[in-house]
Amino acid sequence: MSFKLKATIAAIAVTFSLGAGAQGKDPIKVGLSGPYTGGSSPMGISMRDAIRLAVSEINAAGGVLGRPLQLVERDDEAKNELGAQITQELIHKEKIVAGLGVINTGVILASSRYYQEAKIPLITPGPTGSVVTKQFMPPEFTENYIFRVSLPDSIQAEMIAQEAVDNRKFKKLAILADSSNYGQLGREDMTKALEKRNVKPVTVEKFNVKDVDMTPQLLRAKSAGAEAVLTYGVGPELAQIANGMARLGWKVPIIGSHTLSMPNFIETAGANAEGAVFPQTFVNDGTPKRTKFIDTYKKTYNVPRIPGQGWAAPGYDTVYLLAAAIKQAGSTDGAKIREALENLNTKVEGLLMTYDRPFTKDNHELFKDSSKAVMATIRNGEVVKVSGK
Amino acid sequence: MEIFLQILFSGCAIGMIYAVIAFGYQLTFATSGTLNFGQGEALALGALMGLSIVGHVPYWAMIPFALVFGALYGIVVERIGVRPAMKVKSEGWIMATIALGIIMKNVAENIWGKEDVKFPSPVPEIPMQAFGVNILPMELLVIGGALAMMLAIEVFNRKSIYGKAVVATASDAGAAGLMGVNTGQVITFSYALSCATAAFAGILIAPLTLAGAGMGGSLGLKAFAVAIIGGLTSGIGAIVGGLLLGVSETATGYYISTGYKDVPGLVLLLLVLAIKPAGLFGKTAIKKV
Repeated sequence: MSFKLKATIAAIAVTFSLGAGAQGKDPIKVGLSGPYTGGSSPMGISMRDAIRLAVSEINAAGGVLGRPLQLVERDDEAKNELGAQITQELIHKEKIVAGLGVINTGVILASSRYYQEAKIPLITPGPTGSVVTKQFMPPEFTENYIFRVSLPDSIQAEMIAQEAVDNRKFKKLAILADSSNYGQLGREDMTKALEKRNVKPVTVEKFNVKDVDMTPQLLRAKSAGAEAVLTYGVGPELAQIANGMARLGWKVPIIGSHTLSMPNFIETAGANAEGAVFPQTFVNDGTPKRTKFIDTYKKTYNVPRIPGQGWAAPGYDTVYLLAAAIKQAGSTDGAKIREALENLNTKVEGLLMTYDRPFTKDNHELFKDSSKAVMATIRNGEVVKVSGK
Repeated sequence: MEIFLQILFSGCAIGMIYAVIAFGYQLTFATSGTLNFGQGEALALGALMGLSIVGHVPYWAMIPFALVFGALYGIVVERIGVRPAMKVKSEGWIMATIALGIIMKNVAENIWGKEDVKFPSPVPEIPMQAFGVNILPMELLVIGGALAMMLAIEVFNRKSIYGKAVVATASDAGAAGLMGVNTGQVITFSYALSCATAAFAGILIAPLTLAGAGMGGSLGLKAFAVAIIGGLTSGIGAIVGGLLLGVSETATGYYISTGYKDVPGLVLLLLVLAIKPAGLFGKTAIKKV
């Protein structure tokens, strides 16, 4: 409760500072939607708070085109139909010039059509489904309005397979995936990545969201002789897996998708979460810019650590990318912002990297391969880079 | 062999959870012929309430608070949802208890948030070894606590005068009323007891699962299936039904496929409904015309 209260106060403070910076000029309205309640909320709230930080920084420095940015925030509760609804509200009622946010693949697939039709660009730091940016690709569509800075599942699966098979030389692998779209599409990607290395998983197990006992799945994996468990699921169930393994006294590495960095996994699994390995696009490597961001975040929202830094940092960067595009376009017209995003001629200093022409007309993915991402692990409850690489 | 034992034990642990919730369904059905379909929500509320209290007092001292809270909740359900419907002899209590459950779930979401949170375990979380099987101390506590709870209620019903009023109302409400038993009060009492067992089940299992407003949904449903399989009038039925469902789930998950984990339990439910609708241990009611 107290964290929520503080976050609310901080939010009000940010809103006020926005108002103060308005200087009578018309603000530029930017939509921001994501899951702020429900199981995905740790990701959504971290993203939202980081985006608020970036916006207040930009406004303190004079805004964009001499106008302040103004966030119009909506909670999509990770529900597809609600996401579609609020997207229409943002575009047609609030008249936003661009959209940021969205965490869940299902939600963005349900809402991106409205951005596309209204010619309003959306830069998303969250969803990982491989099709997210491919729905409106040329040549079928002349323009695509969906941009992404998160790591697609196909690349994550590739990195997981690389870690398990190439680096650790495991031959017997068990896949545990939840029965949601996210888990099952991820399982497909992972099986493909393993196939490329001539490895067939010794067992592929499924579990439901909200399952409280993973014993049968884990016993099957154990008796199949698995040397590691590859996971595709979300926080609470991943924690049940880690806790279930500890219960069976079965100690093999857990390697999985970036959801292993979710705070509800780290907190619920406690000591059993230590050593899980997963891809990340942002870890604190001690560089001044990253350290400063983490410190400012912790101070502003009065938290001991960023709940989901793997969603906060990319979210923060999307604001700077959008600001650079609006500046280059010299206008808040959606089509012109899209064009500018596809041909960014200034380098943007971000948290993930220095953005040098991140997007082109044909490629709206920031991550084309795994070279800019790293494998991370959990040490003392913190997400850190896997050492030695 | 070890794996078989491990499956058996895991199945029994989860089965006892089902059994204790199913027992709560039976308590109210026996006295009034009605059920609280919000039993899963009562369980979640009990767990969340316990979580709030456990920050201030030790786990064991929190149990009476959770029981009292559960009992009060049961009284509210009976007064608002069940009694008005029973007065006019309608089946309105079905929708009313479901509605109350949904309302309480929303209230809980607003108070405690929609996140599932970790419930501190009162016993060490390090597994013990016995016969090659890994057992969490908390699982033993769940099994022991559930059995103790059911035993306590049975003893109360058989030995105390109040318990005898409950049994009398259960066997013939009309005659009990003529003998001077306040059957209305007995029904209220059975709801209080039923929701108190649910709250107790909530704080028992929360250290194993997680505590959250949505934690009772699927558990309540499965326990209902258990109550039907075992029979709505038999305490032994709840235990046997719970163990059957629990073990069949884990065993199917291991020996066939985890994708079909929930199937055999539901097939069993359909079979029981087709062959012995009163449940494996239920008394077949003879309807006199």
